[in-house]
Amino acid sequence: MNGPAADAAPVRRRRLAPLVAIPVAVVMLLLVILLATRDPAGERLAKSPLVGKQAPPVEGVTLKNEQFTLDRVRGEWVVVNFFGSWCTPCIQEHPELVTFQDAHRSARDATVVSVAFSDSPTNVRQFFEKRGGDWPVLSANTNSIAVGYGVIKVPETFLVSPSGVVVAKLIGGVTAGRLDALIDKYTAPAATTPVTTTR
Amino acid sequence: MNTTIGYTAVLVGFVASLMGIGTIGYALRSAARVSSPVLSMPYMRIGRRYAWVTLAMAVLIFAIMERALITRDFTSAYVAQVGSSKTRPFFNFTSLWSSLEGSIILWTLILCGYVAVIARKFRNRITDPMFAWALLVLFVVTAFFFFLMTGPTNPFKTFDPPPGFDGPGPNPILQNHILVAFHPPMLYLGYVGFTVPFAFAFAALITGRVGEGWLLETRRWTLFAWGFLSLGILLGAWWSYEVLGWGGYWAWDPVENASFLPWLTGTAYLHSVMVQERRGMLRVWNLSLVCATFSLTILGTFLTRSGVVVSVHAFSNSTIGPILLTFFGVIVALTIGLVAWRGDALRAPGRIDSPLSREGAFLANNVFFAAFAFVVLLGTVFPLIIEALQDRRIFVGRPYFDRMTMPIGLVLLFLMAIAPVLPWRKASTELLSQRLFWPAWSAAGALVLSIVIGARGFAPVLAFGLGGFAAGAAARQIVLATRRQGWRGLVGRTNGGMVVHLGVVVIAVALAASSSYTHQQELILPQGQTATVGGHTVTFVSMSTVEEKDKTVTRAQIAIDGGKVYEPALSNFPGFGQPIGTPSVRTSWKDDVYLQIAAPPEADGEPIGLRVIVRPLIVWLWIGGIIMALGTLLAAFPGRRRIPTMPTSARVYEEVRDGDVAAAVV
Repeated sequence: MNGPAADAAPVRRRRLAPLVAIPVAVVMLLLVILLATRDPAGERLAKSPLVGKQAPPVEGVTLKNEQFTLDRVRGEWVVVNFFGSWCTPCIQEHPELVTFQDAHRSARDATVVSVAFSDSPTNVRQFFEKRGGDWPVLSANTNSIAVGYGVIKVPETFLVSPSGVVVAKLIGGVTAGRLDALIDKYTAPAATTPVTTTR
Repeated sequence: MNTTIGYTAVLVGFVASLMGIGTIGYALRSAARVSSPVLSMPYMRIGRRYAWVTLAMAVLIFAIMERALITRDFTSAYVAQVGSSKTRPFFNFTSLWSSLEGSIILWTLILCGYVAVIARKFRNRITDPMFAWALLVLFVVTAFFFFLMTGPTNPFKTFDPPPGFDGPGPNPILQNHILVAFHPPMLYLGYVGFTVPFAFAFAALITGRVGEGWLLETRRWTLFAWGFLSLGILLGAWWSYEVLGWGGYWAWDPVENASFLPWLTGTAYLHSVMVQERRGMLRVWNLSLVCATFSLTILGTFLTRSGVVVSVHAFSNSTIGPILLTFFGVIVALTIGLVAWRGDALRAPGRIDSPLSREGAFLANNVFFAAFAFVVLLGTVFPLIIEALQDRRIFVGRPYFDRMTMPIGLVLLFLMAIAPVLPWRKASTELLSQRLFWPAWSAAGALVLSIVIGARGFAPVLAFGLGGFAAGAAARQIVLATRRQGWRGLVGRTNGGMVVHLGVVVIAVALAASSSYTHQQELILPQGQTATVGGHTVTFVSMSTVEEKDKTVTRAQIAIDGGKVYEPALSNFPGFGQPIGTPSVRTSWKDDVYLQIAAPPEADGEPIGLRVIVRPLIVWLWIGGIIMALGTLLAAFPGRRRIPTMPTSARVYEEVRDGDVAAAVV
């Protein structure tokens, strides 16, 4: 058996390891910085192409058997909320929507519209009976609405300005505070002009 | 109740791992202070026992969570999230690891298992500083995962269920096939297993002892982890192909890449470690590879759990991204720092005599495996780089990966043929021509055979030829060894390794064939009609719908080649939007006919949208996987020739004192 290179000639010991380690360290540092500064993909997806554009139609018959279109609430901020009675985050965010609606009821400056996603009208009716909320709820034939908004997973929420432009897409549960903050943000500069977003 | 006990167990486990770190750290410091080469036995005995405490807590956490799931205790937020009264008992059990919090439980359990085995196996050597450092590192990793459970991924959050609450159950994909009980645990056994070699590598870097005794242990642990990772990856491919109906077995998805990266560096290590054992060279490189492998498992976990990259694997976005990234950064910084500090002192003075030698081939193997890993890593993070630099969003897909990795794969196949016949140190051309005689004939045979059968195209035909070459070299070694030693010629590192090589060749040939000669077609087929795809006829016979307890299943009856009827299906789980497709595959030795419902008939008597894929040699992917697993098992048994002579590792220095690099005895 040959011993571990016992026969080697006198070797020059150079400081090689640091020379290799430093570039590797720099690359790894850049990688970590890169990864640390990226937004989660979910938030990047939230930069929906719809933002800044006219809202796709939301039409149908509500739980109260009334015809609904976005045009009927033009002039108000509209929170288009895609949800499912089976989805836990939707159950969790529901009280926030109720709070939001209650806060804006008297001013009539904002409303929630719920659109059921892969759900049955019976389940949706029970959901609202149990958890409250008296805003327009569309539960039947909602697939085309979801396709129009590019909904993948619920809950997804779109904020539509009084002029009918989508100003924000929110993925995951929303809070009343978050919605109000967004409305304030886009109301402040010029209340009546269509809102254009930063991106 | 469940949540209280569970969370208490988490806290106890966390404290126990911290106590383990503290005790061993204290023992190490006391010994260093008096320059003692051994540690205090009483302290180490206590330190070692914390491994059992953490294991007990991990088992308890697992059991409590299972109990909460089985009793549908919806006061646990996790059960409310993944549990449902409708889920069948089996899938209810596996739903423990169907979401982030639970998969951290599984990870911790496996990790604590490994730590306990290590603590027991080395109980007679616990006063050795090298072992103490390794155990310390293992406790640090354990503490990290217990820490995750104390807050960021606390699995025992409470929930106040409204009356009549029923959870949605796990993702339908995770309650559709028994493979969910095997694929994730196997992958985790692989991922987590790399912690052990990492701990020893780290200890070797700190103590400056990189001798062969510890290496042999580390190699076997790496082999163990590597075997499970290989199996886990292949099971994932099979699952994706046969069950999920994603159409293919590999999509270069970030999550798949994340599991493939440590596999690549781990494979490189398993090869280059042999150079160290035989020639004492590549010590620092080997340590770096082990550290890289472990870091990549953490990076992979970060990539899949942080939601930074877009993936078909719908892992929930979570808040643990920054924590995992910090952990990754700390590991990388520490190992790079240690290598920079210790590297030169640890380097072996040997030199590779000739590129035409076993060690030369291993070195080339390592270069190409490293390049492979780099290409995959670059492709995975490239969209992020572009986005950071140019604010554009791009997608790096199959064409990049296929084009970049195929040449590397071909070179590796070639090396697989050459390396086993090369002697150590230096080969003469005469020896080579003699030893490569049969492999070369095997290569020519495979080449001619593939062309006769009808293979066309440069890359696949080359792959078949090189596959024959490599298989010939592996078979030659196995034949020679069994002729010499009987059945014992099949066990041991070299011979078992050759069996693994045969498995890899089978997989490579299947990959080349299936990716080059695929026929895919989307058909709109009225009932009773027949269409032809890739030489096979498919006939849409009928449709049926069955209501089951937890789902509604729509099946199409499709006759293949006018013979047996196959039933691709769509399952609708109430509460989940998209139906889950289950393909039906007719497998034969020659090819697979893959049927999938693309669009169910809108009404009775309407035509069906059917996706038909005909791919050759798919079954050989799985057969190759089985051969690889078998070979890994054979390789893990000790071979006849090499018996470890040294109970502990040889010291590079006579005396290991801080900064004392001068006393090198080599």
